[in-house]
Amino acid sequence: MNFALSSDQQALLDGLAPILARHQEMPREGRLSRHYYDHGLDQALADGGFLDIASVEEFSPLEAALVVDAIGTLPSVVEAATTLLVAPKVLPSGFPRPVTLISGPLHFPQRYLPVAKIALYQFEGDLLAIEVDPDNVELADSIFAYPYGRFRQLPDLDKATRLGPDKIPILQQWWRVALAVEAGRAMEQAVNFTVDYVRERHLFGRALGSFQTVQHRLAEGHQYARGARYLALRAAWSSDPVDAATAATYAQIHIDQTRFDTHQFNGGMGISNEHLLHFWTYRMRALESEMGGPGGNAVAVSRLAFAA
Amino acid sequence: MEFGWPEAQRKYRERVRSIIDRDLPEDWPEIHRHGLASPEQAKAGRVFAGKLAKEGLLVQHWPKEFGGGDGEPWEHFILGEEMWPRGEPRGPQYMNVNWLGPALMKYASAEQRERFLPPIIAGDVIWCQLFSEPSAGSDLAAMQTKSVRVGEEYVVNGMKVWTSYARLAEWGFLLTRSGPARRDITILLVDMKSPGITIRPFPGIVEDGHLHEVYFDNVRVHVENRLFEENRGWEPVTYALNYERVGVQRYQIIHDAMHQAVKELKRRGTFDNDPLVQRDAGIVLAKCEASRLISYEVVDQRARNLPPSEDASVARMSAKECIMAFNDFVSTWMPEVLSEEPIGGDWQLSWAHSFTIASAIAAGAYEIQCDIVATRQLGLPRGA
Repeated sequence: MNFALSSDQQALLDGLAPILARHQEMPREGRLSRHYYDHGLDQALADGGFLDIASVEEFSPLEAALVVDAIGTLPSVVEAATTLLVAPKVLPSGFPRPVTLISGPLHFPQRYLPVAKIALYQFEGDLLAIEVDPDNVELADSIFAYPYGRFRQLPDLDKATRLGPDKIPILQQWWRVALAVEAGRAMEQAVNFTVDYVRERHLFGRALGSFQTVQHRLAEGHQYARGARYLALRAAWSSDPVDAATAATYAQIHIDQTRFDTHQFNGGMGISNEHLLHFWTYRMRALESEMGGPGGNAVAVSRLAFAA
Repeated sequence: MEFGWPEAQRKYRERVRSIIDRDLPEDWPEIHRHGLASPEQAKAGRVFAGKLAKEGLLVQHWPKEFGGGDGEPWEHFILGEEMWPRGEPRGPQYMNVNWLGPALMKYASAEQRERFLPPIIAGDVIWCQLFSEPSAGSDLAAMQTKSVRVGEEYVVNGMKVWTSYARLAEWGFLLTRSGPARRDITILLVDMKSPGITIRPFPGIVEDGHLHEVYFDNVRVHVENRLFEENRGWEPVTYALNYERVGVQRYQIIHDAMHQAVKELKRRGTFDNDPLVQRDAGIVLAKCEASRLISYEVVDQRARNLPPSEDASVARMSAKECIMAFNDFVSTWMPEVLSEEPIGGDWQLSWAHSFTIASAIAAGAYEIQCDIVATRQLGLPRGA
């Protein structure tokens, strides 16, 4: 048990840091768009080999999760979680990316579909890999701070690659890990962003952050984010389905309070498009419902942990 | 970063388990039903702690120079994880090894260490913590119990309350007000049989015999029993509280109690087909595991000799989360365990509930932990 980064992990993140620093600022068009995807960051990560580390022998899913976690500090998004944590477990190596995970019915708007090359879809007891035809995708306006799209026409599932029923539990396990890593970091960013704000913002003649009610709720958010991040990283490390469901559950049950509190304390500014807060909070919102949401994942924890 | 147990620690845990299995008395469930603060458990705890001491496990994590084994903080934590779900066979002596001993090692004089540490190391002494008062719980510095230096003695007058184990204890770790400033605190190590001390147990919703009032009426304590400097007791107290906040592995108590609860619900046939109870059970487990990892982070910091931090308060906050979720679970899905005889003679469920009722109050209320995290860790400005 060691919470300090190993030298290899530190070197990995040190190598990633300059790329993230160059993309720290979200361009204005990104702030005002509901479909923004940071293609430049995606390319830089790919060029740097960071999106391939799942196939590098020296690295484990924990290192992949650390990369996803670090990318999650940015307000911009790129599809990294599925590429690094989910797809390598169910697709043959060398799979095209970005990869999207179909959540809910196939005709619903889907996260990352506008940029995806492959869509993974659980259908009739099998896992399908659908090659995404970009001409068959239209943008879907969404509040969720990810680029969303929907199929113009439902894809022909007979042409999809059948990955096999045995891949379903694997997909579900690593989807839970991926969403937990993203959610944990988004929670932490939302809390940190808000802490910075309430330190400076004065109301009633004093800093907003000096009010105990604000302090206590942010302390709770800080605790929830920390728990969510550690559980997610442990689930990546252990490759244990109970840990994965636990991580997803913990993150999802605390998203609502974290989102509510951080928006409350940022006030009206927090709901403006130019403000960064909603990128964290509505990303969290999107992740809150995946893989069955907090209730479904909590049931999964029980069924897995108390199976004996 | 990695989350695995090294082979040595796995073997250590196995050894602890085998010793518990070997040395726990056969009638332990009956003994434990009297409660952690009962004379029955204290007596059994002396025997058990003595055996642990002989095995070199009681203070394995202490430095060798003070009689320990130079073990990792992890070993102490593993010991706690194995002890608490079994009802804490060390009895009240868990406090000795968790925070009291470390406070003595850091702040006591050589003579005091020579006098007070050996019985702790041998597992043969019970201490109580004389901190809280009717008007000084979370606001500990508001205490009014006074000590006045008269020659070579301090004369103590006042009252402590909520004191666990007071009627069993030979010694008390007593905080007194000794000067006009808010933090003019002096710590006295007081013989609980001293003339002028009156101990009155009072009932509560935690186990019977746990809570006491302790009155001090012109109690005389020799200056050689003062810990650290006069009026500078706040520093050792802060140090001790930091240890105490993660001293009890509450997540492990709850984790094991949840497994027992589900086992019982399965036996009744009310678990496997009910997604609502499954959902609630899953949430309790998730909170337990979060608390486990947040607590482990604190232990990891100790293992790496990092200075104490506010992370202990984050850990304490997380313990409250899993305790409250568990207590809600029990109240909702099997409330009868709180009022009936233990199911099948198994005491762990009702005990886990009653033992943890006060967990969000003790060692600094939940709100105090929030204050500490908000102001010292998040850097938020203090209120007006």
